[in-house]
Amino acid sequence: MSTRWYPLYQRGNPQLRVFLPNFWMKLVRSSVNQLPNVVQFHCSMEMTKHDIKNYLEKIYNIPVVEVKTRIAMGKFRKDVGKGYIVKDDDIKFAYVTLPKTMKFEFPNIFEKKKGDTEDDMKSLDEAKKSFKGFIQRNKDRSDVPSWFTI
Amino acid sequence: MRIYNFLSKKVGELTIKYSNLPESYIKRSYEQVYWKNPKGYPQYPAAQIARKNYRFTTNRPWTMQFGRQNERTTQRKKVFLEPIGEWMYFKGDRVEILVGRDKGKQGIVSQVIQERNWVIVEGLNTHLRVVGKDKSFPGITVQSEAPLLVTTGVKLVDPETLKATDVEWRYTEEGEKVRVSTNSGRIIPIPKAAQETVDYKSRELYMENPDKDTTAAVANKITFAPKLQTFEMDIMESMGIKEDRTPATTYWY
Amino acid sequence: MNFLFNNILRNAAVISYRSHNSLKLYITAIQNITYIHTTSKHNNLMDFFDNKKNWNETNIRVGRAWRLDELRIKSNTDLHKLWYVLLKERNMLFTMEHECNRKVRLFPNPERIDKVEESMNNIETVVRERNTAYYTLETGETGERPVEDVVNLFGLPEKYPKNEYIIPKFMNTRWVKSYLEHGYINSLAVKKFYRLYQEKLRSIKRNERNRNFNHVQHLLKRFPDMDLEKLQAEYPEVDLEKAKRTKKARGHFLPKY
Repeated sequence: MSTRWYPLYQRGNPQLRVFLPNFWMKLVRSSVNQLPNVVQFHCSMEMTKHDIKNYLEKIYNIPVVEVKTRIAMGKFRKDVGKGYIVKDDDIKFAYVTLPKTMKFEFPNIFEKKKGDTEDDMKSLDEAKKSFKGFIQRNKDRSDVPSWFTI
Repeated sequence: MRIYNFLSKKVGELTIKYSNLPESYIKRSYEQVYWKNPKGYPQYPAAQIARKNYRFTTNRPWTMQFGRQNERTTQRKKVFLEPIGEWMYFKGDRVEILVGRDKGKQGIVSQVIQERNWVIVEGLNTHLRVVGKDKSFPGITVQSEAPLLVTTGVKLVDPETLKATDVEWRYTEEGEKVRVSTNSGRIIPIPKAAQETVDYKSRELYMENPDKDTTAAVANKITFAPKLQTFEMDIMESMGIKEDRTPATTYWY
Repeated sequence: MNFLFNNILRNAAVISYRSHNSLKLYITAIQNITYIHTTSKHNNLMDFFDNKKNWNETNIRVGRAWRLDELRIKSNTDLHKLWYVLLKERNMLFTMEHECNRKVRLFPNPERIDKVEESMNNIETVVRERNTAYYTLETGETGERPVEDVVNLFGLPEKYPKNEYIIPKFMNTRWVKSYLEHGYINSLAVKKFYRLYQEKLRSIKRNERNRNFNHVQHLLKRFPDMDLEKLQAEYPEVDLEKAKRTKKARGHFLPKY
């Protein structure tokens, strides 16, 4: 049987267990100001509030006080090229409240700026600079070929 | 559906091997699917609106340049590819050039583009190209190699006579598949550089990522011991979950 | 699901999720999963993000996905642990990808998601293989969801995956009724549909044949010295002699004879 098959439950049956859950959750930056102990997630459409609570508590070891979910319907929009109407995917949001003592701040992933650019860009910049220097040097003798300079 | 996928496979095998990327990723990175019906609903057929023809060039399918060349509005003429049977040319091969101004010269294959029957030979068949030109700067001139057709542009070099030769695939007595020069009957071994990928020169030289990769020692360790149990039973036993209730009968129809 | 996740990731000598192409042995310490992070207030929510040192990277190079043969030699417990490692990795990748998209940055190495998913699919395949083996040995059946070949309401052959019910078929009045209601396979409408459907299939086939013939003509025109055997091998249905005689196949060059 597929590990995805969820058997029928009747009273007196063994407890239903999921061994290889296929749910996904992604932590997203909240679009509005939230309390510091509220975290926003996108998750699989199939997940219930209980699933989300268990998922975070058991897999991630995160204490959860409350879970609220909502499903945001995807936008209907016109296709850019042909103009037919397409619908974006629906998203299930989960707002997870942590205990009051905990705080979560979404980290700034792109904080530090990388100074070094690509190598080829660097060499191009150098070439440009040296060309400017060459022009500067030979301002008064534009008709003399470049190899003639000392 | 699977047969269809196989037939419509456009990205060459060597390209996939060189990229060291999963095939599914290459597919989703170059394909342009504008609309796909949702899956799992009986009212929707498995239909999609997608670009059908892509122009493969020296830009590799997973790169951004490829996407820019195949923008939705651009439609290019069909490219006719001569059927060549089994592929013969690998990265690192010594080939002789049969056309162009470097005709008769020999060089090393630096890149293989199977989608167009092309090879690029290092430092040969080049043209000049101006890079980085703007108002105040005339640009740098670089040499760039043009691709050559494997059918008419190049021929493999026989390692014995050092001359261009026709080659065919044959089997050795050990059952190994090798390229054999038809002129001298000598085996032309596949060069080491053919194993090269984007990530590493050869497999042995791959530096593994210590946080992400599993070491080969761990991956190859055998921990499986056959038991008369299903996966679920085994996990429940190892986690100490006792379950003696039997499920009621159900009916499948 | 409580019972299920107990103990899963505790004290685990866990396999991190990818191995590498070569058979060369790499000896490094097996990683233990630890939940210790430098910022304690963030707690384990930081598991949804990559290591801090990977945050601004443009290239995060990793090995390949787990293969079936590598998973087949692993015990069930190992597979179970590996599944959760992969699951967390995938969540992490989704989170990072989302944040990159939001900030209009390039997500480094998006093929990692495919690698993780391929590994997860392979684990599922291996688990199914083991369960099938057990059930065939014990009960003589595979234990998989039964599938039946049926003729569906449109008169087309279909694989019907059976469903599980609490009561047998003869008692299930609703099921029988709905089936009978629509089961007019020999009706006029179905016959008409079937005829038109066959016509559609035929025309698809014909179009493909014509397209191939046309393509071969163009190839003959462009590459007059082409190896015809290879051409025939690629297009076995095309009559090459006929294609060569056509006007389209003639190039702008003097014929050799």
